[in-house]
Amino acid sequence: MKKVVKTMLAAGIALSVAVVGTTATYAADEQDITVVMIVKQSDPWFDDMTTGIERLKEDLGINAYVQTPVSGDPSQQIAIMENLISQKVDAICVVPNDPKALIPTIKKAREAGIKVVTHEAPDIADSVDLDVEAFRSEDFGKLYGDYLGEAMEGKGQYAGFVGGLTMTTHMAWYNAAVQEIAEKYPDMENISSEPYEDKNSLDTAYSRTVEILKAYPKIKGFFDCSVHGSAIAQALKDKKRTDVKVVSLAMPSTSANYLKDGSIYKGLAWRPADAGYATAYAAYLLVKGDQVENGTDLKAEGYHDIKLENGIAYGFAPLVFTAENVGDYKF
Amino acid sequence: MQIERSEVILLIIIALYALGVAVVNPAFLSIETVFDLVRTSSRDIILVMGLLLIMLSGGIDISFMSMALVGSYCATVIMMRYEFSSVAVLITLACCFGLIMGLFNALLVSWLKLPPFIITLGTMNLFHGLMATLAGTRTYGAGILPPSFNEFGSGYLLEIEGEYGVIGLSVSIIPVALVIVLTWFIIYKTMLGRGIVAIGNSEEAALRLGFRPLWLRLFAYGYIGVLAGLAGSLYICQVNAVYPDKMIGEELMVVAGAVIGGTSISGGKGKIFGAILGIVIIYLLKSTLIFLGLSASWNNLFVGIILVLSLSFTAYQEKMRNQRHLLFKVESR
Repeated sequence: MKKVVKTMLAAGIALSVAVVGTTATYAADEQDITVVMIVKQSDPWFDDMTTGIERLKEDLGINAYVQTPVSGDPSQQIAIMENLISQKVDAICVVPNDPKALIPTIKKAREAGIKVVTHEAPDIADSVDLDVEAFRSEDFGKLYGDYLGEAMEGKGQYAGFVGGLTMTTHMAWYNAAVQEIAEKYPDMENISSEPYEDKNSLDTAYSRTVEILKAYPKIKGFFDCSVHGSAIAQALKDKKRTDVKVVSLAMPSTSANYLKDGSIYKGLAWRPADAGYATAYAAYLLVKGDQVENGTDLKAEGYHDIKLENGIAYGFAPLVFTAENVGDYKF
Repeated sequence: MQIERSEVILLIIIALYALGVAVVNPAFLSIETVFDLVRTSSRDIILVMGLLLIMLSGGIDISFMSMALVGSYCATVIMMRYEFSSVAVLITLACCFGLIMGLFNALLVSWLKLPPFIITLGTMNLFHGLMATLAGTRTYGAGILPPSFNEFGSGYLLEIEGEYGVIGLSVSIIPVALVIVLTWFIIYKTMLGRGIVAIGNSEEAALRLGFRPLWLRLFAYGYIGVLAGLAGSLYICQVNAVYPDKMIGEELMVVAGAVIGGTSISGGKGKIFGAILGIVIIYLLKSTLIFLGLSASWNNLFVGIILVLSLSFTAYQEKMRNQRHLLFKVESR
């Protein structure tokens, strides 16, 4: 009830402001909108996402800020959400550590009239107001295939890695990449019917690579759907196998050196600042009562023309790192 | 030096397994395989030497991976803040942190008189938690770390030009060899070592002989702490990145290696060579699936089967020996 009164009041004020026609300052209701982004933890990736939220705050004049759990423990995100519910914020954006664990709290927030928008959580899209993704997994996966094919000039043996066989996004990227290669580069041969696992660990990626180099010495390319492909590049450097190309998910903070010296041909990622901006902007639209639908512009690079499918808003915002541009990014 | 029967059997298992892999893929039998194994197993061989000493004393320590992580992570944080770039500083700092944590373990084990497994399970989380709170949880990647880390981690002592690229012997063999010799010296040539084996066999008897368990424990747990610092430093140089959450979770593989190598969980028995062979077997299993053409989903199943088999074999041998010596235990049925 209070909420309704508040909204009506806010609407009333907004209306009067609009009638008076103030243009120099932000409309009063904009300042009243509070959108909070809960990230997973403090690291270069989410620090970059924070800059996106700060930009949004300046652009729109709303009250937008980031809450950071001390560690990656899902219970901390729940505690932060509970706190925000009692503060009656207008919208909560969250990048869940463990999406399913958040469902009860998300339900509670929505019952309290709070809009909940997630990022990187397509599995729980039916429990939230909206989920925003940087791209469709298939589209992103194809890029691995395209760039690896380009680097290997369309011929030779290659191998693909995922973090783990149970990681659904990695597997979707892997399958799309392999399919893309099979279609576009028929002279390339995958040495294994299944992806290799790097177990999200640099030393596993390193020792697997060393083993593959011995068992398949003619191999000419690797791609890694996890960010640990930098260890593949390190192994190739140690063995002085400059003839072998690598395409990997990459973060400038861990992969920049390898991109610069050419041991990683192309690094793939998406920009956390833009993803954060688009997610929070979608939340802002929902709070204002606007619809987010096919073609809605979320005002961030790569999210200007989103595709809506089953409650998930897909952008197309892959970021491709090369030796030249990787120095421009800090995450 | 006398080679035990169990060690001979481990050697035979390794040889047969290597032959089996070579039949499937002859590329396996090469000096490169040995050189790669030296590098990949270096961290765990250093750690198992410390663990051996602890297990000889009748204790167990499962916080060593935590100490390796915390020691090397905190050392890196300090180095980044004060812009040190030498690997020697890294190792010294990490070993100091390791020593402090190890001594803390020893004091708790001596005073609380609880099973060391439980105590070190607690301190494992305690150390990691302290690190996350005080030193942060930032990841330091290849571009940020001093280049000397990578030069040390990927350095070669010996380089051979191969058909495809180069085959190199990692410099990590130097710290590994030093630790093995030092551990051998401590166990076989010092009173300290004898005391540690004595309390592992019977603390009561050792006390009566005039050994002081507190000091012996301080040494053994401090020693694994120092080795953890060294192993952690070696690891971060090899992977050329410092993560706030790696290594932890891999401790039981090292314990398994020690046990496969004939180290007794109840204390007083264990051999250096056996423990090394135990680690080598584990790494051999982990690094031959691709040669055998088995896909990733086979990995855990395969390692698990071989571990259980080797453990049953060790246990069976122990039983046979006890029968020969007419030692019997009353067993409930």
